[in-house]
Amino acid sequence: MPFISKIQRQTDYNRFPPSTPIVIDNGASYFRIGWAGETEPRVIFRNIVQRPRHKSTGETVTIVGDHDPALLKYFDCTRSGPRSAFDSNVVFQFEIMEYVLDFAFDRLGANGSRIDHPILITECVCNPVHSRSKMAELLFETYGVRSVAFGVDAVFSYKYNQLHGICEKDGLAICPGFTTTHVIPFVDGEPVYKGCCRTNIGGYHITDYLKQLLSLKYPHHMARFTWEKVEDLKMEHCYIAPDYALEAQLFQKGGKEAEYKTRCWQLPWVPLPTDEPPSEAEIAQKAAIRERQGQRLREMAEAKRSSRINELENQLQGLEFLLQQLGQVQEEDIQSFLSETGYASKQEIELTLTKVTQSLRKAKGEPKPEQAENEEKADSCTSDKYPLINVPDNMLTPEQLKEKKRQIFLKITTEGRQRAKQKRVEEELERERKTQQDEERRLENPQLYLEQMHTKYKELYEKVEQRKRLKTNGGHTNGSSSGGVGRGERLNAAQRERMRLLTTAAFDRGKGEDTFGAKDEDWQLYKLMGKDNDDDDDGADEDEAELARVSSRLQEIDPTFVPKPEPTASQPATTEVPHVRPLTKEDFQIVLGVERFRCPEILFHPNLVGIDQMGLDEMTGVSIRRLPSKDKALANRLTSSVFMTGGCSLFPGINERLEAGIRMLQPCGSPIKVVRALDPVLDAWRGASLYAANSRFHQQTFSRSDYYEKGEDWLRQYQVRYTL
Amino acid sequence: MEAEVIKAELVLPTHMSFKRIQMYGKYPKGQSKVRWKQLKQILQAEICQNYSPDEPNYVNIESPPSMQPCKRICDITGFEAPYHDPRTNLRYANADVFKLVRSLPNEYVQRYLALRKAAVVLR
Repeated sequence: MPFISKIQRQTDYNRFPPSTPIVIDNGASYFRIGWAGETEPRVIFRNIVQRPRHKSTGETVTIVGDHDPALLKYFDCTRSGPRSAFDSNVVFQFEIMEYVLDFAFDRLGANGSRIDHPILITECVCNPVHSRSKMAELLFETYGVRSVAFGVDAVFSYKYNQLHGICEKDGLAICPGFTTTHVIPFVDGEPVYKGCCRTNIGGYHITDYLKQLLSLKYPHHMARFTWEKVEDLKMEHCYIAPDYALEAQLFQKGGKEAEYKTRCWQLPWVPLPTDEPPSEAEIAQKAAIRERQGQRLREMAEAKRSSRINELENQLQGLEFLLQQLGQVQEEDIQSFLSETGYASKQEIELTLTKVTQSLRKAKGEPKPEQAENEEKADSCTSDKYPLINVPDNMLTPEQLKEKKRQIFLKITTEGRQRAKQKRVEEELERERKTQQDEERRLENPQLYLEQMHTKYKELYEKVEQRKRLKTNGGHTNGSSSGGVGRGERLNAAQRERMRLLTTAAFDRGKGEDTFGAKDEDWQLYKLMGKDNDDDDDGADEDEAELARVSSRLQEIDPTFVPKPEPTASQPATTEVPHVRPLTKEDFQIVLGVERFRCPEILFHPNLVGIDQMGLDEMTGVSIRRLPSKDKALANRLTSSVFMTGGCSLFPGINERLEAGIRMLQPCGSPIKVVRALDPVLDAWRGASLYAANSRFHQQTFSRSDYYEKGEDWLRQYQVRYTL
Repeated sequence: MEAEVIKAELVLPTHMSFKRIQMYGKYPKGQSKVRWKQLKQILQAEICQNYSPDEPNYVNIESPPSMQPCKRICDITGFEAPYHDPRTNLRYANADVFKLVRSLPNEYVQRYLALRKAAVVLR
């Protein structure tokens, strides 16, 4: 159905005498050209031009109409989109028009030095004189045409169908086209342009709307929605609902009828090869391997530990032996003996001895209290190593002073350690006491306790989640129209406070001089800011720790408790594809439900796409009103022959809808009959062809001399008479 | 030029026998960037001509704004939308759609609004 393209070069150009007119239907969507008197146009193609560059030679070539995309791979089409000579049904780009005409005449088989036939070409209703004159100029000057006639395509279609008895002498022609929709009243077989009405909505807008909707709904398949494909979809699946609201409600309820009306397009999709779930044997195998690895690690650790124990024991023995020897050696020989072994004094040896025994004990894994005792012992034996502390400064030599400082330092650190240990012990006791209290409370009243725990959990959860939301929601906030508000929303309270402090600090100084920092108080500013930030984070951590404790407690005591998922993981971004689960067949299906009738609806309600004009049904009312003669009988005659033509009138259901619409506007009881053209797409050309074949056609054309002599004003007034 | 391209006659030939002036003569390469009058300019020129207002011309026959009350449909689903989100300016049909509306990134919001020509245009 879509994109008919007949571009075979015709060979019988020379068969036609120079009096045979060439008929051109110059539409915004398709260009049709043929000989007068025939029923089918010879050449049909889409009215677009592309100018890509050839990849190897680099020259810019012109391609008119649609072509085999396989051949286009030789061309670099990135900078050359398809261009049209039209801007909403008026031709304004005559260079492109020339390319199109070139191509058309070439395919019609034209040869010879000029186009020696009269030409009948279609234009839009009330074509601006500038466009008309440029077109005439193009035809006369460049192609050497002898005479030209302009006509409106919808009128030709109407006349053609009138001949076939589809519509009457008086009637309304409604022509939803590619870029515009016209309503033209006919009185006595002639169009009355005064009563004509035009809305700038057409097939192009419907296709564009559908394309945008689908792209927004399925952003991952956006590459699939090319213009041609979407137009295909539109022509195949779109229809006009008799009543939009009812239809929408039907789909909203989602019943069987709605499903029946929903169409689904399956994109080609290859399922990924799924890994089979590992079988029992494989699982057992993996477990065994892991077990073996664990065993190996444990053995290695054991071996290391035992070797270390051996080492330490050896060292211990050696030291003990040394001490023994030292005891035996005589006083004078102590120094020399010691210098051999490498230890400075007896005390040092003893110190190393105790250290080694400690390490040995640790390596062997003896319980802690002994170690604590050891530590205390070590402490006590080192406490008499601070003999110099209590000695006042002035009695000591510099070396001894240094020694004293070292001892003071050592003492303070050991005391600090002791105090910390004590505090830890106290905290432990405290916690033990609290848990015991808790247990007691629980035992005496389990229900109440449980409820309390639940409420506490909920509160904490809410707090933590809110904080998280505040932190991350700044990034997700949808920008509102006022840009200033957006920035403020992104910062949370603390950050805003900081900003405020900084800006006030900057401004308070007064213009021209910046004395921030001269006074010490200024720097307190940073302290304030720093504090604000820290508080926030610490608070969050505390809350989270508390939450974790409460939830674990609840899990222990309440079998029905299910902890809510972690706040960090529960922020699903609905627009992201969840990468966790593999893509299924459904992901590659495009569902056309409401879009099927939502898109053509814009013909009747252009304000759905923001175009502030009337829809089809209202336009008929306006058109009848605009007629110069206010005759009720005429109005009745007009509505009893409403004729639809143009590509967009092929939507199923448009006739009934239009009839209902007109009935709403017209006085009750007026006869309404809506008919469709025999072939809405080609009838315009056929009508024009029939018109041009008429013997009196040549009276309606104007020639080159006419154009140049009579001037623009005459050209503006020029209208063909459609009843010959 | 590859053989199959020539055979398919894809490209418009540069010289046509029936033309008096060829394209390369009329629009020499790289020189004349012909500026065609846009539709707006054409129409403005027409209006300035002071024709009689009775005569139909291109601007005259345009249809007026609609008399019927504006139909409000949900921007995302297409159902009837009695509600309107003040933050994003989108219309939505029910609470589920509202959730979707609030979770959309700004780019999508602007594109939905552009369908209705209600987007914020910064130019």
